[in-house]
This record gives sequence, C-alpha cells and structure tokens, in this order.
Amino acid sequence: MVQFFQQLINGLSIGSVYALMAVGYSLVYSIMNFSNFAHGGVIMLGAYFGFFGLTLLKLPFAAAFLLASIGTLLVAILVERIAYKPLRERKAPFLYFIISAMGASILLENIVIATIGPTFRTYPEVFPRVPINIGPLAIGRLDLMMFIISAVCLTLLILFIDRTKIGKAIQAASYNVKACALMGVNTDRIILTVFGLGGFLAGVAGVFFGMKYTVYPQIGNITTKSFIAAVFGGLGSLPGAVLGSVILGTIETFVAGYLSSQFRDLIAFVILIAVLILRPTGIMGKVTEDKA
Amino acid sequence: MKRIRALIIALLAVALILAGCAGGGKSDTIKVGWLGALTGDQAVWGENELNTVKMLFEEYNNAGGIEVGGKKYKLEVIGYDNKGDAQEAVNVTKRLTGQDKVVAIIGPNSSGNAIPMAPILEKAKVPGIATVATNPKVTVQDGKVKPYNFRVCFIDPYQGAVAAGFAFDRLGARTAAVLYDVGDDYSQGLREFFKLNFEKKGGKIVADESFNSGDVDFRPQLSKIKAANPDVIFMPYFFKEVALSANQARELGLKQVLLGGDGWPSDQLISMGGKAVEGCYFVNHLDYADPAVQDFKTRYKAKYGKETELNGFLAHDAVLLLVEGLKKAGKVNGEALAKAFEGIEVQGITGRIHISPETHNPEGKDAAIIKIVDGQYVFQEKYAAQ
Repeated sequence: MVQFFQQLINGLSIGSVYALMAVGYSLVYSIMNFSNFAHGGVIMLGAYFGFFGLTLLKLPFAAAFLLASIGTLLVAILVERIAYKPLRERKAPFLYFIISAMGASILLENIVIATIGPTFRTYPEVFPRVPINIGPLAIGRLDLMMFIISAVCLTLLILFIDRTKIGKAIQAASYNVKACALMGVNTDRIILTVFGLGGFLAGVAGVFFGMKYTVYPQIGNITTKSFIAAVFGGLGSLPGAVLGSVILGTIETFVAGYLSSQFRDLIAFVILIAVLILRPTGIMGKVTEDKA
Repeated sequence: MKRIRALIIALLAVALILAGCAGGGKSDTIKVGWLGALTGDQAVWGENELNTVKMLFEEYNNAGGIEVGGKKYKLEVIGYDNKGDAQEAVNVTKRLTGQDKVVAIIGPNSSGNAIPMAPILEKAKVPGIATVATNPKVTVQDGKVKPYNFRVCFIDPYQGAVAAGFAFDRLGARTAAVLYDVGDDYSQGLREFFKLNFEKKGGKIVADESFNSGDVDFRPQLSKIKAANPDVIFMPYFFKEVALSANQARELGLKQVLLGGDGWPSDQLISMGGKAVEGCYFVNHLDYADPAVQDFKTRYKAKYGKETELNGFLAHDAVLLLVEGLKKAGKVNGEALAKAFEGIEVQGITGRIHISPETHNPEGKDAAIIKIVDGQYVFQEKYAAQ
C-alpha cells in the first residue's frame, strides 16, 4: 500500500510537468490547428533563462522565475512573427506550418549549442533535496512546489479564457477563426495572445524542468511526451491536456513500478492508441474537420 | 589551375618524404605502428598515446635499445591518424602492414575502430595491441578468439565482476539492486556480470530495474528499489544519468551506497550529483594518485609540458607488453610475437597484465576502486575479481 501511494505521488509529479508543457501545444492547436513543435525549443530557452537569472544575475528565485517566463513569452511571440505570420498571410496549408515549426525548433536548439555550448548545466539548489516525510511516504519539496505552481498557473489560465473578453474571443476563434474575423474580431491579436500565454507557461515549465533534472540544449525532446499527453487528452482542450498529462504520467509510473520499466512506453502507447481508436479526438477533444 | 599544380607538387613532395622514411630504416631497428585519432573529437587522446609511445621508445633507445634473441635493436614508431574513423582505421592498418612492414601495431583506443582491423592483422600476421578499447568483441567474436588482437585494458563485463566482488567482500553487502540502461551495450554488459558474480558469491539481487536511454526520471524504478531495501545500488551508466538518478534516490529517502563503473568519472558528476554521490564508489582503470603511476606522470609532464590523459597510462603498458613480448619471442617476427603474447605476464603501471591465451585479454587485471569524498575522487585500493 505504501508502494502504491508513493508511486501515485511520483506519477502526479511527472504528470504535472507534462501538463505545463502540454497546455502550450493545446492552446496553439485550438486556434491554428497545427502542432507547434517549436514549443519544445521555447521551454528549453526558459530553462536557460531561469538558470542564468539565478547564477549570473544572482536574482532571487521568484525574480528569476518571472524573468524566464517573460523571456519565453517574448520568444514565443517572436517565433510566431518570424516563422508563422508570413505563412498565415499567404494562407499556406497547415503542413507548411508544421515544417516551419520544426525548423524553428532546430534553430533554437542550435543557437543555444553555438552560443552557450552543448554541455549540461545544473541549477543551484533552491529547494533542499531533503524530502517531506508523511509516515513512510516521501514527497520532494520541489515536486510539491511544482505541483502547486502548476495548479495555480493552469487555474489562472482557465479563468482568463473563461472570464475575460479576449478569452471569450479565443474560445470563439477556436470554433471558427474565419467567422470570428468576419464578426470583427482582430484574429492577429488573438494569435499573439495565445502564443504569449503558451510562451509564459513554457517558461514556468522550463524552469521547473531545469531545477528538477538538468539544463541542456536537447530538453525540447522531452516535450514529445507532453505532446502525446495533449493528443491523449484531446488536442485543443485545456482541461483535456491537463487530464491527459496526469493520466499518462500515472500510467507510466505504475507500469514501471509494478511491471517493468521496459514495458512502460509500450503499455502507455497501447492505451493511447486504444483511446484514439475509441475516441479519435482524445478524451475531451474538440471535434474539427481537417481544414487542409 | 595554379593551385591544383601546387597541390600536386606538395603531394609529390610528401610522397617522396614518406618513401624516404619507409626505405631508410636500418636493419637493427624494430618498426612499430601506431594508429589513433590525431584530428577530431578524440585528438587529445590520440596525441597523448602517440606522445607516450614516442617518449618510451626514446628512453629505450637512449639506454642502448632492447635485446631480442641476443641482438640489440632500436625501436621506431610509425604513427598514423585514423581521424577516429573505422574505415580510416582499416586503411591505415593496411598501410602499416603492407607498406611500412611493422612488426606490431599499438592502438587504437576505441572499440569501434579496433574491431574492423582484425581481418587485416590476421592476413598480415601482425599483432595489434589495443589501448582503451573495452568491448569484448575486440578480441573475441562469436566465441572465437581473434589470433592477432590483444589489449591491455580490462573489458566491460569484468568491471561488473569487480564491482560485485568489491560490494560483497569489502562493503559487506549481501543484497543489491541494479538500475541499468536497456539501450546501451556497455550498461547491459556491466549489469549482467555484476548480477552473475554477486549471486555466485552468495549475494542476492533484490531488484533489477531498467530505464531507456534519454530518460530523465527514475523515480518509479527507485521507489521499487526502495521497497526492496538493498544494501547497495549498482548504477552502471554514464555520469549524467548517474547524477540524476542519485539525486532522485536521495529525494525518495534512499540512503544506500551507490556503486558504478568507468562511466562515472567526470567533473559534471560532482557538480550535478553533489551531496547525492558523496561516499559512493566506482571502478576505474587506474587512479591518478596511485603511487605506481607517479613516475610516468612526472616524466610525461617534464617532456611535453602537460598532464597525461587516461590513454597515456594504457599506451605505456601496451609498450611494456610489446617489449616483453619481443624479448620472449626472441626474434622480430609478427607471428612469433603473437605466440609470445599468449600467456605472458607483465607488471604494468595500471596493474598486472596476464594475457590469457583463450581471450587475449589481461585476465584478472587490477581495477582501481575510487570513492567520492568531499567532492573529490579518492583512490581506495586496487581490486581484482577472481
């Protein structure tokens, strides 16, 4: 029983990292109907911003955290302006967006390799590595912090989309961008907002990821898992992305913990495929026709 | 056009110089080949090996050369750059055996480059001594020993056996857990032989967990290991994953001693792993602070003005093996030399080298056990697995 709860804690903690990354994919997909693979690169930059904020600028944690999130917000908007806006203006098919996204992702990774270097960096210890013990269970301080901040960020995001005017516009655009533009909504502003929100969360995710593991130029590859979680939960749906991430994290942990870690990805993906066969739009996905 | 002509002239000049070298050897000189990377990522290791061989040959020659079959010979090394490339290793080996007619070849340091050389060495009947190539296939493939391939370093499975013996005998561990990388031959080999030897000694493997290359989270596996409560945890993989898994183990409240192989030593391990790897042990080829290697270190530094790498120590022992082999063979002949290597025993600076006729590996060679104390690598003892 102790083992069960410990693994549940591990699973929730892994799932919360996936969730922070997955919402970025879902946000962009909900409006633009393509998978923004440059998101991984933005997360990686967030990890570096936070790292340099803490080590070079010697900022307190909260300030470094904010610096990283605002930094990635700007990077995400820049990526949109350079890599996607010209395509949008030419009404390019969505495949071009995906290719452009991959290009941006490779570019970001290589800029970091060329300027900062390919070696690993380690965050200074912000939260002590000594776990909080509840009976026989061990909960990492960083994990707890990560879980709480993820939850706060995701709640704020959902409130923003539900309650604000621009949030309403985002919802409308996710149903039909064209009709939305015809109704006089500035879709360019909506797209910028969506990238900005995704970018901000990428910074949060990047800093946590860097603190939890380590910082290196290929961090972006990890986001493959969170992308899968987003698909699992239903691309385009924010609660879906969060749910998908938590489920994927927990399944992975339980398979590794109770069966064998060699079966971890195998079983996790078999479940994913099964879900997609039964519900092609994912658990909570929006129904869309392919516009390509 | 002018440039091309200049290039052709330059090439011809180089060819002439090379021909001059090849033809100019005197009859009382033993020619030994060396290959390795002098350009590219591994250049620093290749240069270190070649420098070591040159320095030792010079020392032998200044002392009057070596005596083989009652006659004095001088030693000469012919070193070529294989750029760390397997195809280039084959080309260079052909040149050394065909054109330069060397009696033996020292190098290369990597298993990937050493393995394809075998058929050429065999055909030319020239023995090769690999320096730091630890993959078992360098000398034995499909259960058959390669007649002209030898090495002076221990092999990957052996490290696993050393770690198991050390854990059982010295640390007094009776139960152990293993975490390893399923996507990596090196890790698999170490794990297999750690298990085998630990169980043979009467120990019990209470958890055998794996991860995939590229994973960063090991908590599910570590939680399982925690529940099994072993005396030690064996982590046979490279420093980045070692640091991550060590940190996560400590976060989960695992306090056991961690144990690893020669994938551990790196500055990054200490900076990333910090307190988590404090008091842990790993197996290495040698220790830089070991009294047996100090003399060589000083000689090398005096001659070249910089510290030797790990490769230099093993190149040093490859030269020792070569010289003892020549003395034992009693004649300058590749075939006789290969025969002489089998069963030979040499006391190298990296340990006792006893070349087994069955495997052409230095069987039972001492490994160095290193402990991490206050963020420093501290040599503990030499340890050989039985």
